[in-house]
Amino acid sequence: MRWLFVNHIQNARQSLKSNRMRSTLTMLGITIGVASITAILSLSGGASQIVSNQVNSLGGNIAVVRPGAQSETPLQDLSQFPSPEHFAASTLTTSDIDAIKAVSHVSAVAPMMVLSGSVKAKATAPTSTSIVATTPDLATVSGLKVQDGEFLDPNLNVYTAVVGPQLSVDIFGTESSIGKTLTIRGKVFTVIGVLKRTSDPINYNGVDFDESIIINQEAGRLINQGAVQVQQINIQSDSIADLNQVIIDTNKALLKNHLGEADFTVLSGDQIAQPTNRLFFAIAGTTTAIAAISLLVGGIGIMNIMLVSVAERTREIGIRKALGASNGDIVAQFLIESLALSIGGGISGYVIGYLISFGISSFLPFFPIFTWEIAVTAIVVSLVIGTLFGIYPAIRASRKDPIDALRQYD
Amino acid sequence: MVKIKTSKTEPVIVLRDLKKSFGIGDAEHYAIDGVDLSIRKGEFIAIMGPSGCGKTTLLNILGLLDSKIEGEYDLEDRPVASLSARRQARIRSQQIGFIFQSFNLVTRLNVIDNVALPLVYKGTTKLNREKQASAILHTFHLGEREYYMPYQLSGGQTQRVAIARALVNNPSIILADEPTGNLDSAASHIIMEELSDLHKRGNTIIMVTHNPRLTTYASRVITMIDGKIDTDTGTPKRKEETNGKRPLGKKRKKAKRKKEVATA
Repeated sequence: MRWLFVNHIQNARQSLKSNRMRSTLTMLGITIGVASITAILSLSGGASQIVSNQVNSLGGNIAVVRPGAQSETPLQDLSQFPSPEHFAASTLTTSDIDAIKAVSHVSAVAPMMVLSGSVKAKATAPTSTSIVATTPDLATVSGLKVQDGEFLDPNLNVYTAVVGPQLSVDIFGTESSIGKTLTIRGKVFTVIGVLKRTSDPINYNGVDFDESIIINQEAGRLINQGAVQVQQINIQSDSIADLNQVIIDTNKALLKNHLGEADFTVLSGDQIAQPTNRLFFAIAGTTTAIAAISLLVGGIGIMNIMLVSVAERTREIGIRKALGASNGDIVAQFLIESLALSIGGGISGYVIGYLISFGISSFLPFFPIFTWEIAVTAIVVSLVIGTLFGIYPAIRASRKDPIDALRQYD
Repeated sequence: MVKIKTSKTEPVIVLRDLKKSFGIGDAEHYAIDGVDLSIRKGEFIAIMGPSGCGKTTLLNILGLLDSKIEGEYDLEDRPVASLSARRQARIRSQQIGFIFQSFNLVTRLNVIDNVALPLVYKGTTKLNREKQASAILHTFHLGEREYYMPYQLSGGQTQRVAIARALVNNPSIILADEPTGNLDSAASHIIMEELSDLHKRGNTIIMVTHNPRLTTYASRVITMIDGKIDTDTGTPKRKEETNGKRPLGKKRKKAKRKKEVATA
């Protein structure tokens, strides 16, 4: 039987080679589908990895509290587009911050209140940007460094700000903007520091610090009609060993604060790394849809071509049956041929998918990742498509009556 | 090449009141209408008859290609009706060789792959398949045509390839449907010599033909009319001794006479 299998493979190769153009076009649908899947997975993996690396480079002792319960499935992630701005009515409050500060082994707590608004300097037109209202601990937790001046200082006037280098260039025309003033929502802020360029537009804070302005939490409250909306609380523990205990204790403390309602999530490690960028999810969602449609159409294409192939080779089927092929042999022959088509499409899709994601990544701050899971996914998807859409033509071929089949002229 | 221990008294094929109908209701029509036939090992049977008398249908039934039949068909003492489709395929693969009128080579395979095709379903390895196919092609003087495509061959060569394919797995029963139908008399002669050679080696051959001259090669001639057996020269009594050449001349005359009676 093993030799028969080998023969089916040789036979499929021969038959596909003799119709090279047709086979290539048929594979194209699967190729596009698998290429999309490979590109999404490798890029999202790359994005996750870059955030994981950040968390690890900060010492790996970071946990993050976000409002809302954790989404149950990745699919929900795709449809919900979570992002800091999205949680306008945050369930996190200032009392939560105090509760976390009281947890033992917590070395730093940085609440983040991200507002969107425009920043105006005298000379330039208003620039829209992310306004991050936080506490001085953010510098420690997120590893932010100033290249000029100082970070937020509670002893100074509340209307002081730290600007990202790119934002500084955008509104003042220079990175040296210490002492200059700018206006946010009618309040005048004095720049006391300029951040060091990080070139990390993707990070677990969901904010590109190069282009943001950081102000005191109190100032944020004052320009937000006196309300504090905390979208994320970054926690740093004393050491990695303490992190688990800190997470458990934080959960307990917050649960008590929220009267037993778990409307918040404490994340650590790889969970933080799940991409939260809205655009990313939009692209991933669209690409997934393209992949699904393309795989469906590709599968139908395979079925179509296999039906044509069965019709064309009716006489051959008759001959093979007369020479001793059982129905199972005929099913195997045609099924292996459709599998060869879909796996061929899958392999070329895998390669093309990586070419695409490397092409895209030249515009992105990260590289696609290589994991065995992506390769296995590509192969499994093409196997499933090949079987699903190849089985009907194969069974149809095997059911042909040998006498009728032999009577057909080709 | 083919060594079969022939116990010639044992019938290989037994048909009892075999019927095969096409169509349903009022349009029902029996292509085979009650055939009783017993074929012994080593016989060379020529089946004659006008078009539409059921010769090819009978051959298809004998070759297990058509299993929707009425009546009984025992192949080597086993009723065919009791065999599963897979078992029937195995028998086709191992015991039966088909020679078709229209050659029926697979057009996209070359000569050697065509000849090796029956071995595929026997589970032979590729190397052994090619060895055996090559060997049999050489005996048919087609050694230099192994890698030709079917369309590059002459009619006679194509039919020799088809015969080589039918014989490559050493079948004990060879079914030939007008093996020379598409050939001129010289090519026909070569093919028939091959068949009678096979017959001498002990194979059972059942051949359908239109050409009365070919019946001279046969040891038994059956004529069919309207799905029934019209005449049957029967199994020669001295079959064991007449395996050689000598008695053939006698039979040739006998067959010729029969044919003249039938056509008169």
